Amino acid sequence: MTFPPDVLPLASISAMRPVFLIIMGVFLLLTAWRITRGTTGWSPRLLMAGAMMLATGYSVIIPLYNAGILIAIPPSGFVNGDAATAMAWECLKLVTLNGGWLVFGMGLAIHAGVFETEKSVAPIQVPHSSSHEPIH
Amino acid sequence: MSQFIEFVIKSGFLMDGCGVIGLGLIALAAVRLSRRYHSWGGSLLACGAMLLLLGRLWVIAAKQILTAQIMADLGHTLSEVILLAPFALLTAGLAGVVWGLWGHEQWLRAER
Repeated sequence: MTFPPDVLPLASISAMRPVFLIIMGVFLLLTAWRITRGTTGWSPRLLMAGAMMLATGYSVIIPLYNAGILIAIPPSGFVNGDAATAMAWECLKLVTLNGGWLVFGMGLAIHAGVFETEKSVAPIQVPHSSSHEPIH
Repeated sequence: MSQFIEFVIKSGFLMDGCGVIGLGLIALAAVRLSRRYHSWGGSLLACGAMLLLLGRLWVIAAKQILTAQIMADLGHTLSEVILLAPFALLTAGLAGVVWGLWGHEQWLRAER
């Protein structure tokens, strides 16, 4: 079985990864929307905001970079083309991905009750202070 | 170029820190969900967050550690593997987080 040569690159990992990321981003947004549907409070708001940022980053910005439409800033810092645009997209990518994970993680943490403390069921032990031996 | 934007982009440390903190929070929340509420999505979520965290740290560390000299010492194949491995981790981690979130959503629906 032979493939025409222009089909093979479409099945490579570097071609599949953006597609996978697009699907994952959209699915993340969909799942977050299904979780937060009909609820109020800060946890769904943060979850939804984070999922929207992540979906933007993963299903729009990273595929654009992989498709070569947006050019990444090389380590030398020299950009051929519009430097301000390249920097704005880089900034947007950093903010949507990292900020998205931060906001999403915060929402999930509030949802899971990480910041709440459970009331301890252990009886409170009051130390006996002996009046015979004064504490030095 | 304003100095703040230069700081944010060039060092990248601020945003990288935000991302790593967020992933850590996700991992913490996922462990909490699976331990306390016995939500099966929580375990997957924790695995995904751990993979993502590992991949992120790998990328950040590789940027600092891997110089041209070290890469030349390691050889072409090994340095390629080291550079490409975090992307596999990141992809698998994202899949784990999304799958775990979906599982948690199913669990929530079954509980209600």
